[in-house]
Amino acid sequence: MQKQLLQGNQAIVMAAEAAGLKFFAGYPITPASEILHEMVSRKDIMVLQMEDEIASINAVIGASLAGLKVMTATSGPGFSLMQESIGLAHMMEVPLVIVNVQRVGPSTGMPTLPAQGDVIQCIHGSHGDYFPIVFYPNSVSELYTYTIMAFNAAEESMSPVILLSDGYISHLYETIVPHRDVEIRERSRLPLGMSNRHFTGLSHEDSMPKTSDVDNYRRLIAHLYEKQQVTARQYNHYEYRQCRKETDTLLIAYGALSRAAYYFKDDCALYRPVRIFPVVEEVKSIAPQYKRILVMEMNKGQYAHEIERILHREVECIPILGGRIDLDEIKQEIRQKMYE
Amino acid sequence: MNKETDFKRFLKLDLLPTPWCPGCGNGIVLKTICQVFDELDMPMKGTVVVSGIGCAGRSAGFFNLDSVHTAHGRAIPVAEGIKYANEALNVVVVSGDGDLLGIGGNHLLHAIRRKTDITVICYANEIYGMTGGQASPITPHNIKTLTTPDGNPDYPTDVQPLFRHNNSYFARTTAYHLNHMKKCIREALKFKGFSFVEVRTMCIVNYGRRLGYKNSNEMLLHYKEFYKINDSAGELAGNEIGIVKGLSQITDDR
Repeated sequence: MQKQLLQGNQAIVMAAEAAGLKFFAGYPITPASEILHEMVSRKDIMVLQMEDEIASINAVIGASLAGLKVMTATSGPGFSLMQESIGLAHMMEVPLVIVNVQRVGPSTGMPTLPAQGDVIQCIHGSHGDYFPIVFYPNSVSELYTYTIMAFNAAEESMSPVILLSDGYISHLYETIVPHRDVEIRERSRLPLGMSNRHFTGLSHEDSMPKTSDVDNYRRLIAHLYEKQQVTARQYNHYEYRQCRKETDTLLIAYGALSRAAYYFKDDCALYRPVRIFPVVEEVKSIAPQYKRILVMEMNKGQYAHEIERILHREVECIPILGGRIDLDEIKQEIRQKMYE
Repeated sequence: MNKETDFKRFLKLDLLPTPWCPGCGNGIVLKTICQVFDELDMPMKGTVVVSGIGCAGRSAGFFNLDSVHTAHGRAIPVAEGIKYANEALNVVVVSGDGDLLGIGGNHLLHAIRRKTDITVICYANEIYGMTGGQASPITPHNIKTLTTPDGNPDYPTDVQPLFRHNNSYFARTTAYHLNHMKKCIREALKFKGFSFVEVRTMCIVNYGRRLGYKNSNEMLLHYKEFYKINDSAGELAGNEIGIVKGLSQITDDR
């Protein structure tokens, strides 16, 4: 394939097409709108501009049950609206891909500036227990690769998979080589209209509602959890760079901000998760070599809490808020933490 | 099987009885839908029923067809997704008035605009039955419910103008007028475009009882007395039942 200069959002659309996307429903929102714009020009993808994000996710749930590969794309406020139906899709085991191009929040926040504030919303936004797989690439080329992987992981786990991006990498232009060397997974379930199955968000057994059987509910949740864990293990993607110098600091960063973190490769070791949820287990074997763990992210410490929980030890958080990635500011923050 | 009971092939009989209260009108509507399915010989493979949440929302599970029981108010967008993904499918939505007109009102508005070729059958019992009897979008003015103890200060919503102005199909019927209900559902299923059937049905336990009806039969007889059939009207008054169509014609090319 030839090299192409692509915007992050364009790369997502190209990759989705390569992965077999046939149905897209969405609602315009900055900074994710380019995905919708780009989609409408694709002849073999059915595109619906719905009345809101709730309708969008429900339309893709319907289309997915009808047998198509589906996707929707939004930003934080729209993602919040989708939460109830994300739970529904987990309960009904509907494969779909949700792209969340994050911007500064809460509420309308700063619509044109990047943030990483929806990280915890991915796993705790809907009610009840569910276990999504979440990818967060950090370049246009990676957006391409992980969009395809998100589709594959969705088909494998028969559940919604979230692809996180942010206003920074989605609006970035980079040269990439759109490759097609990843095997594309196909749907393993019959589409609607072929039998007499019932899909429900209620607790169920063999697809029929079972709302007062506690043991059955526990089996159902165990099944959903196990399925996600097995699939997630196929996608243990992360990046770990040891420092050439002796160092006792491990700097953890992901997504847009991890690009700024590379600047500190001579001062500390770097760890960048790409499949950010479930948290890649390898961090447990990497972390003990370092006395100090810094988690740098564009929120008030959402992933730092997850890392703390996984490692059972304290980590230090460097919140970079308001969408400004200023190297001098970050340098100051990191030096302060490292040498204080 | 004789012709009379052929409709049962559309029901998962092993799941009966339903969770609905004794005297509930939902069963009448469910049975009638199945009878019309049978009459039109709807393909068992190729028909999908979608529902939202609530008493009526549970009916999707009783159809011996592929069915989807979605989140509260979201049956219509899911049905639209199914229809757009596979045009060959017959997609039927069954849900309550709270689900379709309240929380799902916005989706209804836009599905009418998009003219998606689906049929929506609304079990309109004028109350939120499953949650204990709170006011719904079509609870009449001055009626006392759990949430309107001094009488409903609001007036019921009427969606039929939306259908008229968008060349879609709207019908109102009741659980008492069985043949009329059959006709309304039959024509809705045949209609090419978005069709909506509002079936007035009784909730004796959480509504009728508080209104003073002694039993569900008495409530049913109220429909007989109150509602007048007026099929030729271009617009239905509050106490009229009938079919209102836009400019599009009913087609038989299903």
